[in-house]
Amino acid sequence: MTLRVDLKSSIPVYRQIVDGLRILLVNRELHPGDPMPPVRRLALDLGVHFNTVAEAYRTLAEEGWLEIGRRSGARVVARAMPNRVDPQSGEIFQRRLQELVAEQQSRGVTRGKIARDLRRIADTLEGT
Amino acid sequence: MPLEKIIFTVILLLMSALFSIIPGLTRPDLFFAVTVTPEFRPTADAKRILGRFRTIVWTSALAAIAIELASGLVLAALLIVGVGFLGALVSSHKLALAYATAPNSVLEVNLEAPREGLPGGPIVALLPVGSVVALGVWANLNLDRLPQRFPVHWGLGGPDRWVVTTPASVFGLLAIEVFLCILMVGSALAVFLWSRRISTAGPRAAGERHFRRRVGLLMIVTEYFVACPAWFALFQPSATIMNAWGLALGIVIVTFAVSLIHLGQGGSREAVAAGGAPLGDRAPDACWKWGVFYFNPADPSFLVEKRFGIGYTLNFGNHWSWAALAVLILIPLALSGLLLR
Repeated sequence: MTLRVDLKSSIPVYRQIVDGLRILLVNRELHPGDPMPPVRRLALDLGVHFNTVAEAYRTLAEEGWLEIGRRSGARVVARAMPNRVDPQSGEIFQRRLQELVAEQQSRGVTRGKIARDLRRIADTLEGT
Repeated sequence: MPLEKIIFTVILLLMSALFSIIPGLTRPDLFFAVTVTPEFRPTADAKRILGRFRTIVWTSALAAIAIELASGLVLAALLIVGVGFLGALVSSHKLALAYATAPNSVLEVNLEAPREGLPGGPIVALLPVGSVVALGVWANLNLDRLPQRFPVHWGLGGPDRWVVTTPASVFGLLAIEVFLCILMVGSALAVFLWSRRISTAGPRAAGERHFRRRVGLLMIVTEYFVACPAWFALFQPSATIMNAWGLALGIVIVTFAVSLIHLGQGGSREAVAAGGAPLGDRAPDACWKWGVFYFNPADPSFLVEKRFGIGYTLNFGNHWSWAALAVLILIPLALSGLLLR
């Protein structure tokens, strides 16, 4: 179970940590009750400031994924999925997806390759 | 030729031989503390820089030996070897910078990596400290039964420097011993808890863990040896026991040094896949001043792997490093003053 971060990406490291951990949480690779790596350890492993990791943990705690104890550190908690979906979320999702596709295209990735990547993700989603 | 001169000459030659092999002990994608592609090392340019480094090292050694044999100036000879080595290192580092390449910026952290701690646990690590503290309690109760003077330095023939027994000198000595023991434990702990990992997933990460564990073990075993002189000073065993202790300590250190070189710093002996961006030590080259001093305020690490040589060095961009350095200098000075007062 790995967390991947690109230090040269235009996306802030804090955001990459949040996004990477959220993928693991949504995919149930991190289970309720699992302890998260200590902030200090993860920061040292990534070579980033402690506050960057602490901020990422706080964001995930606010989203309901983590519980942060003073002494016990961060722990995954059971999170109930929201009953009502924000009507604008679909639109926002599509826009972000289009932005990502455009970004990939601007890097020279072919449309076919992008389509295959999207299909693989879709297949994974349908499989679960 | 006097035996002392022969021994000193052999020591200089051994030092130079060690300096010559040091460039080969680092990771394949680091060359004179500069991030390069792993394919760079076998090239003619790399061999030219390495050859130049070794020529300077050996020329300095020969000059030092000549001066020592002709005039007996031991310090001057050591200075020449040291300056030659540092000069060779700094100039080779500058030459290698022309071939620098950006390290891979993508990091993968294994979230299930096992937690690391002191080999044997805290009780084993703190036993020598406890033994010296117990000796201090005993000495406090039996001050009048202690000999009028006790040794603080030993040569091959036994003790060769003494101090008068007073409460300050006895407890000064014991405090130095406790400080040294805590220094050993603290260093081991810092390697496990506050050093930067280079590879954090896969077999290279396992290699790094193995290396750190061996370093920690060296620190703890050495700590047990370091605690002994306190007992030797107050109970004054025979010179044979002292020599046996010195010999055993030497064997332990040499054995660990050889095993660490054999293991290779953080998997430095592992082959690196050709073609990909080098990993280096995941720090910008600009943060390594002269290839020796690491200064990176953006890095939270307290200790980092040396880019040149085996072991760890301080991140001088971390304010805790300066605090540790101050403690390392000031406490021994204060305690030595207490002992020799």
